[in-house]
Amino acid sequence: MNIKFVVAGFVLWLWSASATEVVTHPAVSMDQLTVTQLRAIYSMRQQNWPDGKAIRVFVLSAKNPVHQRFTKEKLQMFPYQLDRIWQKITYSGLGSAPVVLTSEQQMREMVANTEGAIGYIENSDELSKLKVIEVSQ
Amino acid sequence: MNYPSSKSLKFHSKLSVLLLLVCSLQMPAQELQWHGFISQGLIQAPETNFVNLDDSISAELTDIGVNMSWVMSDKLRLASQVVYLDGGRRYTKGTRLDYFFIDWTLYSDFDWRLNLFVGRFKNQHWLYSATRDVPFTRNAIVLPQSVYFDSFRDIAVGSDGLALKSTHDTRFGEIELNWSWGSTNLSKEQKQILLSTLPQGDAEQDYVHQASLFWRPGQLDWQLGLSLLDSDFSYKKAELDFYSDGGITVQRVMFNARYAAEYWELSSEWVQERLDIKDFYAPGFKRNSFSQGWYIQGRYNLMPRTWALLSLDIFDLDKDDRNGTKFSQSTGGMVPAYFAYQDDLTFGLTYDFRDNLRLTMEHHWVKGTARLAYPVLPDVQNNKSEYWQMWAMQLMYWF
Repeated sequence: MNIKFVVAGFVLWLWSASATEVVTHPAVSMDQLTVTQLRAIYSMRQQNWPDGKAIRVFVLSAKNPVHQRFTKEKLQMFPYQLDRIWQKITYSGLGSAPVVLTSEQQMREMVANTEGAIGYIENSDELSKLKVIEVSQ
Repeated sequence: MNYPSSKSLKFHSKLSVLLLLVCSLQMPAQELQWHGFISQGLIQAPETNFVNLDDSISAELTDIGVNMSWVMSDKLRLASQVVYLDGGRRYTKGTRLDYFFIDWTLYSDFDWRLNLFVGRFKNQHWLYSATRDVPFTRNAIVLPQSVYFDSFRDIAVGSDGLALKSTHDTRFGEIELNWSWGSTNLSKEQKQILLSTLPQGDAEQDYVHQASLFWRPGQLDWQLGLSLLDSDFSYKKAELDFYSDGGITVQRVMFNARYAAEYWELSSEWVQERLDIKDFYAPGFKRNSFSQGWYIQGRYNLMPRTWALLSLDIFDLDKDDRNGTKFSQSTGGMVPAYFAYQDDLTFGLTYDFRDNLRLTMEHHWVKGTARLAYPVLPDVQNNKSEYWQMWAMQLMYWF
């Protein structure tokens, strides 16, 4: 068997096993977001959904591997860039940083129970009470 | 250019802090957020007047701040921060109202956002200007003095007035536009840091008008920026005064760039500053000069939680007299030529004990004294060496 296919298959398996999903509270009106729109939300610039409801942004801590993968794969940024944006808006008065949660389980609960919430998870087996958002270029 | 004075926008800090506390006690947690930081360090810069005059190791490296953001409605927000700063002789020591403004969202959708700020706001036009007092947001403890001249800190850090910010997502990337107009009320201590203790009269900033443009292409690894500044100062002499009535105009053109890779980062700013002095030193005196400076900073992620910094900072007081010969001659040789330039090579290390607890250490090798106090009166007595060194370490915590 060609070694390239073995490596490619292994990488694909790793990727599929740990793919991050962007999730929202089930009542959020949107089904998909572009990368730019997702960045606007996670940069805390966009603070309302199109229906006017406030966006509640949840994240895991900067050192959490799920957060690092979400930042790189979905936002196409490095975690330290996102930290800098949040620090700048928090300490110069331009806005507020997102709420930092301690585990994926807590992320599921908070997003499912907070109106207007957005977050991310990796284990997509338990998606009940959450809406999965498709992220496109 | 003539602009109306913005003195009517002065703020009473004690009243503002009280209002801040009252608001915070009555608001639901979701609508109100509190954050803060505390840091303490040691610094030594012998043979200069940068931190102190006795060349000793100094603990005058303290930054403490607490802020709040109160979402009043979908369109309105109130933000405020109070800081305590001690940088020795670098800038005014004490507690101050850092910012206090209303943020009004004039327009917002997923592609475009426009905000108006009214009150005391931070300078959002340079790479580090908005958070220069917030230690963990800086690459270095002492920022490159070509752009972030500590003697000008109190004037450059923010203004009382009006500001607009627009961010627009286009197919070419993200475009951010900032505009601001206002002024800073100078305290007696701030005037002394700018002008020394010799002038006895009253110095004021009449206005500062700034605009900037940042462009972040699609992948966000690059950021390019341009900013402009125009500001007028006036001086009214006292009855018994060595100096005369006069005016000073400061104008800046700046470019900045930042490149971010996963394990390293480069940031750079270039500035040309026009300084036009009329009278002040003596009736009829006129001087129009252009200074130039730039820095480049590289950070490398040596290992998890550890970053190394290498920084080069270059400044020339007069772009047409980079070695200071004419400058020294114009003072009859009283002021050495090295007061006309300042070049700084810095090496630093940063270690994160936790996500919000950091230790930074750095060493500076410096040639020249053009960015040491006082900007309008070289301190020949205390800045005796062309070559000097400085080190600093700072422990910082934030929440």
